[in-house]
Amino acid sequence: MAEATRYYEDVEEGDEAPASSHTLTRTDLVRYAGASGDYNPMHHDEVLATAAGQPSVFGHGMFSMGLLGTALTDYVGPGNLTHYKVRFSRQTWPGEELTTKIVVTGKRVEDGRNLVDLECSLANGDGEVKVVGEATAVLPSKS
Amino acid sequence: MASGRSDATTDADALLAQLRAFEGRPSGPPAEARDEVNQAMIRHWVDAMGDDNPVYVDEESARANGFPGVVAPPTMLQAWIMRGYLSQPDGAWKAQRDASGEASAQEQLFDALNAAGFTSVVATNCDQEYVRPIVLGDRLTVTSVIDSVSPEKHTGLGDGHFVTTRLEFTDQHGERVATMRFRILRFRPQSSRPKDVALRPRPAITHDIAFFFEGARNGTLLIQRCAQCGVLRHPPRPACASCGSFEWDTVTASGRGTVYSFVVVHHPQVAAFDYPLPIAVVELEEGTRLVGDLIGIDPADVEIGMPVVAEMVAVDDELTIPMFRPAVPVGAGRVGAVTGDA
Repeated sequence: MAEATRYYEDVEEGDEAPASSHTLTRTDLVRYAGASGDYNPMHHDEVLATAAGQPSVFGHGMFSMGLLGTALTDYVGPGNLTHYKVRFSRQTWPGEELTTKIVVTGKRVEDGRNLVDLECSLANGDGEVKVVGEATAVLPSKS
Repeated sequence: MASGRSDATTDADALLAQLRAFEGRPSGPPAEARDEVNQAMIRHWVDAMGDDNPVYVDEESARANGFPGVVAPPTMLQAWIMRGYLSQPDGAWKAQRDASGEASAQEQLFDALNAAGFTSVVATNCDQEYVRPIVLGDRLTVTSVIDSVSPEKHTGLGDGHFVTTRLEFTDQHGERVATMRFRILRFRPQSSRPKDVALRPRPAITHDIAFFFEGARNGTLLIQRCAQCGVLRHPPRPACASCGSFEWDTVTASGRGTVYSFVVVHHPQVAAFDYPLPIAVVELEEGTRLVGDLIGIDPADVEIGMPVVAEMVAVDDELTIPMFRPAVPVGAGRVGAVTGDA
């Protein structure tokens, strides 16, 4: 949900954004395939995925990036995100509960813009990290 | 061997030089989004993501948050230029390429990697820079460049090359709205990885049945016989169903028999067996029946009544079991019928 505007002065290094959790389902993967246009069958065709040696279909990396991205934009505001990068470290599997973690790592003013740096990750219930990344946002100032 | 090693190194160097030649080349022609940025696609995407931020679907909320109108989620970037099902190998893109007769640089690069054995792919990194929010009505074009190809790296998945592609997204005015770097690993699947050798399920070898497996190990098919009335019985058991006697001995079966009945197992599949798996109830010429795998025959060729002969097969170091093979090679039998007694 969009919340009240978050100002540069509102955040401090070490602040954490609210965590959000989502349990991945095969229906999510089908919906995401349709919505994103990524029809790699490893993400929706259980027969092909198992024939290829996978235990089951698995999540799109970009779905994980999107989940974590939603938590980021919920925190900084959709228009304020300027840079977001991730590394896909593990596959995600249907049935896993994926939880976001976002921490403010720094604040800086550059070319008159108020920048906030964040570290972010997505992990399953066992703490296995699926996606780890960094983001930068420009936040408005109260002054 | 020293020479082999140096050959391999030379090969790797030659390959890397070949791969590096693609750096800086456009992956393919610029691709224009098939549709302008629209509410329907955004709605599908935010529904799939469970993102309920109203600025993506509600004009008023978007304006209240300082946007000129409804905006697209930043991480939806790639969706605007995905060709969906068309980009699958047998889709329309391939047809288009076949018509133009030229493979794109990206296809040539992937062909070179495939030819060198780096046939598997996994996405490793994605880096997105947003210049401005993308709004309803924007018409995006993507220009894609092969940014870099790494030397061969050893990874947990296998040895491979990282390929980074840079995608520049521009709007209908030619202004850049976002840049994305997408990194994949093209790797050689680890076929040399020691596979767990699945063993067949172990039979429970009791006092009553031990002779059968011992006989099989010695290359003989032993059948239990009642020592009092002489009736054969299988599977082995303590007492004769005919006369009730506990006294028994064994006879060595000839191994010849006929298929009394059979099934072909397709599912469920258990490691250590090959499928489809034909299994027969074989009636031995001595007059009892036993169950065994059929070997040396296509499952489609199995027929009830066909003559078979037992063969003791060591399925692993510890276990030898009887299986049955057609007594007359299938196909040769028909020839024999035509040519008479050859």
